[in-house]
Amino acid sequence: MTFRRLLALIAAIAILGASGSISITGQLLAYQDGYVFFTSGDGFRLAPNVKLLDDATKAPATIVPGPRVYARAVFSPEGAVTELDLSLKPLPVEPIPDAVQQFAVTSSPRYPNPELLPPPQTDTGGEPSATQTFSGKPVLVTITVEVPPTTPLNAQIYITTDTSGWNPQAIAMDRLDALHFRVTRRINSGTILHYYYTRGSQQSEERGENGLDRTPRKMAIGDADVRAVNDVVYYWADQIGGQQQPQPNTLPTPYNPVPFPNLPPRPSPAPNGR
Amino acid sequence: MAALVLLVFSLSGGRVLAATVLRLSADRIEFYNDRYLIEADGHVRLTTSDGMTVTGDAFSMDLRLNRFLIASHVHLRSPGGSLDGAAIADFLSFKRVYFVPVATKPDRWTYLNGDYTKPLKGREMPGDVFYFPDVSGSEINISATSAAIGENAYVEFKNAQAHVFGARIPTPSYYIYFGPNSYMGQNSLAGANFDLTYNLAGNANSITALHARDDSYNGAYLSLEQHLASERAYAVFSLNPGTKRQKWWNLYAGEHVGSKFQINIFNQLYTNQVGLESPLAASNTGSAVLTQAFAHSSLTAYIAQTNYNLIGPGYPKDGPAVTNHPFSTNLSWNTFPQRIFKTPFYFQLQYNYGYNHDDMGLQEYGGVNYTTLWSHGLGYTFYLPAFKFGNRDNPYKTYYFNFNLNHTRTWYTIPHHVNTTTATESVSRTFSRQFNMYVAYSTSNTGDYYKTGGYVPYAPIGPDGQPVDSFLAFRGVDTLRTASLGATYTANPDFVFTLGFQHHDDFPIAVPNLYPPPPLNNLGLPLYTNYLGQPPWQLTGDARVRILPHLQVEVARSYYFNFGQQRWSPQFLVQFSQ
Repeated sequence: MTFRRLLALIAAIAILGASGSISITGQLLAYQDGYVFFTSGDGFRLAPNVKLLDDATKAPATIVPGPRVYARAVFSPEGAVTELDLSLKPLPVEPIPDAVQQFAVTSSPRYPNPELLPPPQTDTGGEPSATQTFSGKPVLVTITVEVPPTTPLNAQIYITTDTSGWNPQAIAMDRLDALHFRVTRRINSGTILHYYYTRGSQQSEERGENGLDRTPRKMAIGDADVRAVNDVVYYWADQIGGQQQPQPNTLPTPYNPVPFPNLPPRPSPAPNGR
Repeated sequence: MAALVLLVFSLSGGRVLAATVLRLSADRIEFYNDRYLIEADGHVRLTTSDGMTVTGDAFSMDLRLNRFLIASHVHLRSPGGSLDGAAIADFLSFKRVYFVPVATKPDRWTYLNGDYTKPLKGREMPGDVFYFPDVSGSEINISATSAAIGENAYVEFKNAQAHVFGARIPTPSYYIYFGPNSYMGQNSLAGANFDLTYNLAGNANSITALHARDDSYNGAYLSLEQHLASERAYAVFSLNPGTKRQKWWNLYAGEHVGSKFQINIFNQLYTNQVGLESPLAASNTGSAVLTQAFAHSSLTAYIAQTNYNLIGPGYPKDGPAVTNHPFSTNLSWNTFPQRIFKTPFYFQLQYNYGYNHDDMGLQEYGGVNYTTLWSHGLGYTFYLPAFKFGNRDNPYKTYYFNFNLNHTRTWYTIPHHVNTTTATESVSRTFSRQFNMYVAYSTSNTGDYYKTGGYVPYAPIGPDGQPVDSFLAFRGVDTLRTASLGATYTANPDFVFTLGFQHHDDFPIAVPNLYPPPPLNNLGLPLYTNYLGQPPWQLTGDARVRILPHLQVEVARSYYFNFGQQRWSPQFLVQFSQ
């Protein structure tokens, strides 16, 4: 560690010798108690006569330094911030180089956090662990579902998700054939999606293989470029029991003894018919 | 009453789902719906249900990642004492609190598992623990001055303003549920062309919502809906429409009892009344579905009762008197899908036993008005999902063949039986990543066979006033044949176009406006598929385009090839989704 600090000091001196000063850009977390804090969590001592400038014009700043403000910090060779160029427009949020990191003020020496070590190669069941990180990049996810053979040929299939507040028509799928539907979406890595398949309403959502309500399906999106998901739906809730179940705002029609639901008015079947 | 008992039982047995509740106040709180971010600035004050109070200048919370950050002039009051600092971040799911105290010098402390008395000083922190999200590409949806946040479940804003198309609409409160309990999403409303939902109150187990709606029958109206849910039960009640004379009071409820039994209840009261005055008409229908799962099958009991007139003689005032009050029950047993040895074929069996009763009569046959009918039926489903052929090594040259056959026979105490057979075959191929196509052919045959007699030859009068002679051949057997061709072009996930073509060749022959149209579901689709009178030729185009990062619009319309002088479907289907 000492050797590393020495190298950093040499690098800092070299940079100072080349350009006269060290600077970093980033986003401010706080500006208080004689320190400026960046979103890296590092606090740097402010020089007594620190200059607050506008980054674009280099004129005295009208922006008050504080959280969310972007800034370029210029350091003295002793490690104090002598100049802060402030901006409301984003400036690059860079990792703090070692040459500057040594200027960060802390009371306690840093020591490694075992939770931040590379995760062991164990199966977490698709669940992110405390140490697992995701880039958040969009991942192309293709979801294909096999529907029950009782699904009408004119049916629309949707996915309802927790991210949509369980809207039963949140994601529309496209028919592949008589029994399969598919949709492709971009979903950010790190997303844990809870979802169900529906035919457009909660009354026609999927049921488990045993005919009961099932717990939501879960999909954890990793940092792959593409992801394929294949599911099977066993039943639709409104087809359980073999009856046409009543719908909101429609009164069931009186008992219809014939199996043809919409015949025009005609005589009833009779013993002397045919 | 049963529903009420279920409701009370459900809620008393329900486990509260939100572990920690955060109460936030600030000069300005902003919610970004597309990313589930809450950003707050100015006089931030946060209290947590586990006894921590933090003040600061800025607050940021990612509801999905379940973590928050408070920065600048932070004052922490916890069971471990009071401290000042520059920033604090709480990863709620992992029970890790990261703090930058500033006493004489800054430091880095980590609290584990809610123990604020033993900070780990100097322990390295995750790199992004104090990062503010970049919200430059997102739009504010709600602004407010205070909020209650139920961990992994909900957020309720107070003194809120909803940002709708650039306008700020003041609302006393606004509630959003984002938890994993899908029972909170149960709804009891019928479909509508337009629905603007305002969640005016809620917590981890309930939502009270006001809906501004519009549909082609009622026009514009308001509806009220109350959701209640626990992990294993739900009840949702609605008054829809609430501002029209014809009102529907709907209740859905359900509960898991143990791991193998489930009950679902639906009750609906219809009233025709001005405000809450004495109704001109009232009817009620209720049903319950009880499902018991076994190792390889399930047993379902369906019970339904309808009273078409709850008021009495002389009513309803808004239509013909219907005095029926039928009761029906059906017990059905279904096997789970079973694979036939190691073949690609599957089958399911089903058996049902039914009872129907109505004092006013169910069916007249041979001069007798039958008030009670028993029935029992046997059926099977046989299917082959996705059998591959062609070049099976190349996914773009592989064909998929699907086949399913469903056959049932039901016998009744009036001596007749009904046979229903439906067969569907399809072949599909994905030609490229963007393009796939399928062809399908479906045949549905329904026959109602009486032991003696049956259907009388009859020619109904068509819409042109002339008898429809083709109907004379109908003797209680219909056959519906449907040929379909569908193609989907997915340019990218943000643009999808589908084209569907259907040809119906049915008996009895389709005659425009002769057959009563089936009731429609909330998507505007017929409640049942096999009905008579469908246009013989039908072409449907459907385009889905993403217009905002979190909003997609779908536009569809059908062409009927001049069936009954009808060229186009009455209206475009326009639907917004996630």
